[in-house]
Amino acid sequence: MRRGVVLPVVAAFVVFVVVWKAVVVIAGYPPFILPPPESVFARFVGAWTDGTILPHFATTLLEVFLGLAVGAGLGLVVGYALARSALVERIVSPYIVAAQATPILALAPLIALWFGPGLVSKVVICSLIVFFPVAVATMVGIRSVDARLLELGRALRATRRQVLLTLEIPAALPSILGGLRVGVTLAVVGAIVGEWAGADKGLGVLVNLSRGSLFDIPLMFATLLTIALVGIALYLVVVLAERRFVGAR
Amino acid sequence: MSADLRLTDVAVGFATREGGTHVALDGVDLAVPSGGIVALIGPNGCGKSTMLRAIAGLLTPSRGTVELGGTPVTGPDPRIGLVFQEPRLLPWRTAAANITYPLELADWPGDRQAERLAEVADLVSLEPVAMTARPSELSGGTRQRVALARALAMAPELLLLDEPFSALDALTRERFDLELLRLGERAATTIVMVTHSIAEAILVADRVVVLTPRPGRVVADIPVDVPRPRTIEVLDGGIAAGTAAEIRSHLELAS
Repeated sequence: MRRGVVLPVVAAFVVFVVVWKAVVVIAGYPPFILPPPESVFARFVGAWTDGTILPHFATTLLEVFLGLAVGAGLGLVVGYALARSALVERIVSPYIVAAQATPILALAPLIALWFGPGLVSKVVICSLIVFFPVAVATMVGIRSVDARLLELGRALRATRRQVLLTLEIPAALPSILGGLRVGVTLAVVGAIVGEWAGADKGLGVLVNLSRGSLFDIPLMFATLLTIALVGIALYLVVVLAERRFVGAR
Repeated sequence: MSADLRLTDVAVGFATREGGTHVALDGVDLAVPSGGIVALIGPNGCGKSTMLRAIAGLLTPSRGTVELGGTPVTGPDPRIGLVFQEPRLLPWRTAAANITYPLELADWPGDRQAERLAEVADLVSLEPVAMTARPSELSGGTRQRVALARALAMAPELLLLDEPFSALDALTRERFDLELLRLGERAATTIVMVTHSIAEAILVADRVVVLTPRPGRVVADIPVDVPRPRTIEVLDGGIAAGTAAEIRSHLELAS
């Protein structure tokens, strides 16, 4: 980040916290409705240092990574096939759209039933939700590859593999990374939803626990903050990848 | 090393949407000796780009043969270098990486690629600072220089150019035309160039082939008897004026 950007970013964060505090004070909300920022931050630090969050965090992170790998990987392959074959698109796309149009919340209990309460069901839900944006972005990206560049490849007798690696993927990369931006944030959503449908560990479970049996609303907020930070961190990774591979064009 | 090009009775047809055939090129015979420079000229739609693509092996003639150095061209051919109307560079690669792209596809080892890069960059007079720049950072002329270097990378026996300098301003274009002339000698390659500028054709070519549309046919094959080395002043001379008038008369008959 350039230095000129840091100041406004910090200022905006300060404003956010001040408004939060003001709302709590002026409206007089009790801590179990909206805890003040200082108690959330204190609980956040406490829960991280005493080891309350860490095991749940590790579980969710694993689900997110595996879900991303499977979902984005399948999205790339299927998106490519959709772009290059009209037949595949006709046959497959209704199912993909139908799966996407069905709310993941409605599908999650079914998937939990099929794949059990362990890691697999979360990875399935996570990859299902990541798949769509990546597949669509890949399809659009591959389709928009300049036909003149493909002709150049043909004139230079590039093999199928060379066309893919040296023309199609680099040309479609901005679009694919755009899909991945959406995908990584949805991956976090997928993991949490999966945990709500049945799990004994994970940040989604901790949200439920702190709201229910523990009745520790600051901990719930600290957990939500952790979830948000995971999403932000993953998003930043994609942005950095974009800057590295696309920015220089 | 350059090689001679021979087209025998070449015809190219395209299927139309109505189910018929559009004849883009019909019964074209052309022989270009090794090291020769021929300009193809004609009005829009006369099939000159189609002819170039048939020679390049990018489309298969419906009749007739294209031979380079006595062996037929049946598809994209490593002996042929191609420069398009627009530079057609890969925007994510540097100029240097664009030039070595054909070598990379042909699996040349890295050190030989670097060697060849230096040779062709010198051949097209590309400044060293441009080598690490991306196409978007280069001027139109420099981009076309890079495209020319890329086409020469595999040391082609035949160089095909499809209105390569038409997007450049008039002065830059003349400079490029003269450079191309010298390049043909230094790179030892036969050159076929599509143009619709009579001046450019006279400046560069040994022979100007005039095509007419519907269907594309060769109507005239006019030698350019302007001695070499040529300079921009030859265009003001009497021989050039006579040749230009002859070309123009055929073009006017055609349209």
